[in-house]
Amino acid sequence: MTPEMLYALRDPAGVPSHPLVFLVLGVLTFALHIAAVQVMLGAATLTLRGAFSGSLHWRRLAAAMITTAKIAVSVAIVIGVAPLLFVQVVYDPFWYTSNVLSAWWVIGFIVLLILGYIAMYAFYWKNHDIVADGGQGGVWMVLSIALLLAVGFIVHSLTNQMLFPEHWMAWYAPQGVVNPDGHSLHYWHLQRFLFFIALSAPVTGAWLYGYRRYLQGAQEADAAYLGWLRGLAQNLMLIGGVVSVLIGALWMATLPEKMAWFASSVWLLMAVVALAAVVALPLVLRDRIDTGVWGYAIFGAGAVGLIVVGAAREMLRFVTLLGSHGYDAMDYKINMDWYSTGLFFTTFGVVGGVTLAYLLTVAWQAGQSKGLYTPSATVTRIGQWSVGLLVGWTVLYFAVGFFVWVR
Amino acid sequence: MDMIGLYPTWFEPGVGSGWIVGFIATIHVLFSHTSVGAAIFFAWLANHAHRHHKPELLEFIRRYGLFLLVFSYVLGSITGPGIWFSTTVASPRGISALIHSFVWMWATEWVFFVIEVVGVYMLVYLVGKVDVKTHTRIAVIFGLTSYTTMLVIVGILSFMMWPGKAEWAQTGGVLNAFYGPNTFAQLGMRTAFMFTMTAVVGGIVAGQFKDLALKKAIAGKLAWLGIVATLTGAAMLQWYLATLPETADVVLQNRLPAHFPMALMTVVAGTLAYFVLTLVQPRALVSGVAGVMTVAILVFGLWPEEVARESIRKPWVAGQYVYSNQVIGRDVPGMGVKSEIPTIEAHGFLKTLVFVPEALRTIDDGNRVEAGRLLALNTCSNCHSLSSTGIRPLRNYFPGTHTEADVATYLQAALSGGATLYMPQIPFNDDEARALASFILTLQPAAATATAQAATNVAKE
Repeated sequence: MTPEMLYALRDPAGVPSHPLVFLVLGVLTFALHIAAVQVMLGAATLTLRGAFSGSLHWRRLAAAMITTAKIAVSVAIVIGVAPLLFVQVVYDPFWYTSNVLSAWWVIGFIVLLILGYIAMYAFYWKNHDIVADGGQGGVWMVLSIALLLAVGFIVHSLTNQMLFPEHWMAWYAPQGVVNPDGHSLHYWHLQRFLFFIALSAPVTGAWLYGYRRYLQGAQEADAAYLGWLRGLAQNLMLIGGVVSVLIGALWMATLPEKMAWFASSVWLLMAVVALAAVVALPLVLRDRIDTGVWGYAIFGAGAVGLIVVGAAREMLRFVTLLGSHGYDAMDYKINMDWYSTGLFFTTFGVVGGVTLAYLLTVAWQAGQSKGLYTPSATVTRIGQWSVGLLVGWTVLYFAVGFFVWVR
Repeated sequence: MDMIGLYPTWFEPGVGSGWIVGFIATIHVLFSHTSVGAAIFFAWLANHAHRHHKPELLEFIRRYGLFLLVFSYVLGSITGPGIWFSTTVASPRGISALIHSFVWMWATEWVFFVIEVVGVYMLVYLVGKVDVKTHTRIAVIFGLTSYTTMLVIVGILSFMMWPGKAEWAQTGGVLNAFYGPNTFAQLGMRTAFMFTMTAVVGGIVAGQFKDLALKKAIAGKLAWLGIVATLTGAAMLQWYLATLPETADVVLQNRLPAHFPMALMTVVAGTLAYFVLTLVQPRALVSGVAGVMTVAILVFGLWPEEVARESIRKPWVAGQYVYSNQVIGRDVPGMGVKSEIPTIEAHGFLKTLVFVPEALRTIDDGNRVEAGRLLALNTCSNCHSLSSTGIRPLRNYFPGTHTEADVATYLQAALSGGATLYMPQIPFNDDEARALASFILTLQPAAATATAQAATNVAKE
């Protein structure tokens, strides 16, 4: 596939802002998405491990983690929409080709994700009180985890097929005969896939530190449970972190030749340092994790670490496509559209920021309160602003719309 | 020589890729519209319950919300990106055209999706745990946010039919693409439909209530909501039809199955009758019947509507410049987009397409049928199945006995100039027309039988 061919596949309408904006947003939203995926997988696995245990601590954790896993699937799906959107904007020749060549798997992704989510709900419905009764119907959770991993593997494969334009024609027309059935996944790199899956352990460990701090804030009386949680979180972070790094090293050792530069790049170094810093953070903080927001800061630092990993992953893609295939994502034709660009950033920063701040504050404080929760006057005012902003946004939509329509 | 950036083709011989997209889209429309309508209904009902001191109504919100959490926020939230995925593989340049014009509008909708997901969990799980005013405010935020997702997507869907303003082709820009009479007519129609669905699906939840007084109270509210929404929806449909381009009207009159209008009218009448029945006799509000009504609307109302919406924008799939076969058929100076027809007329498809095996770039006696197959995949298969099943099988258009020359002449006469209303302009040169004709002739049952017979003979030898 020559550079001319790749450029011919680009959408002639161009992009409505500088390509860099989409690349940056792609990295940020990918990091948030993969964090939700990793919490989802970690929480689901802890549920399975804990629900059938004789230990009350494990069962109590399983009861909390099934709710976490359920919500994390929703969050992973909704946040995943954003990187899916942005990858199509600047890498459309690669994303669309990869998808079409494995079309049945793309459709299968939808079906498997629905089944995986429903299987998780099936386990939830079968377990009304895990602490008292223990777990039942574990096969549903096993099935759910297996299906969610399969979904992840499909996306992994589609994302990697993008990077091999030199094979596309052979995949589409083996021996020169076009095969349009879309039945095959053509490329995967197991070490890379396993690296991102293994990161679930340290990320879930960081999540458990936050969960533990949350219980402390809600005046949790069971000190033994809190102590046990701390040990589990620390093990997940340390052991999971080491395992992730080892699998990551295997990935680097088996990189295809055209990507070998990445193994000795500053981008990889930054990612390793960021991950190591996050894993070491609880050891540095020691008992400070029981005070202020430090307990939560570990997950926050984990999210930052994932942004660095996401940035390194993006550089691997960007440089490979530029260096080996002559495709520069940054030189996409720009058809600047100020209105929609401004609308997004205003909606994201102002409407989204204020409204989510209100909702999450209420959810947080209600969870920490005993009895009926009534928010403070300040929180209530933020809620009133949220409603006002949403009404204002709707009024603006119609006002601009009618103006455009009748002018 | 410019290259034509068509992607590889995915061909599904059983039902066709178009029906797979349609199936996913129809499911998504059902669940997404139900959830948006329910979100607004919840906001009103929560307010009503608190103002009139009827906390028992909140139980309906809690149960309906839980029901929606599973159905709308599992099936709805997955089939939403599912439409992206399925159109990506069925019509990559169509979805690309939408993405590249409306990426920020979709990103804006995404912000509301995030708020919506947080909102629905809070609405369901905080019943009785937060004070009345706060719960009502969460319901209002959830309702407003859900509706804003509808506001955004409607503009993009309208552009698929035709750009909001005719001058968009000259000016470009999201505003002229997004807003037009079709946008608002479609918004009105979808708004009415979402309340109809809220009332029907709500019956599945309310039908399980044992408390007859509560059931009656809910049944009455759902029935009135459903009656008003269904009647409004029928009026909005007329407005919507009046905003369609002329070509769509012709396709609507001539190209859709005869039973479609009757099916739609029957569904509207049946839905109205159902709501009147549950209003007069709340005992008739039974989960099973409401479930059957939901499926009936899905099969006999939504499916024909989605098929019709898909059909009437032919030969275009986006903005009246991307043909259904993915070729760009018009200049859009405002976006710097140039028609690809002149390049194809000058050099042909096989010389200019990206995904062509080198051996097929030049047609000869040895590769004519295979070259014709590749041409059929690229130029026909989006709308015409190359097998005997699926959407509008290509072989059905050439019944009886024809020569290769007859078919080639027909293809060039009917398609090269773009004179056939609902068909793209497809300027086959002589060699390509003959290659496609030779492939089309292999699709005939007689040819297939002959091929099978020949294969059997070879096997016997």
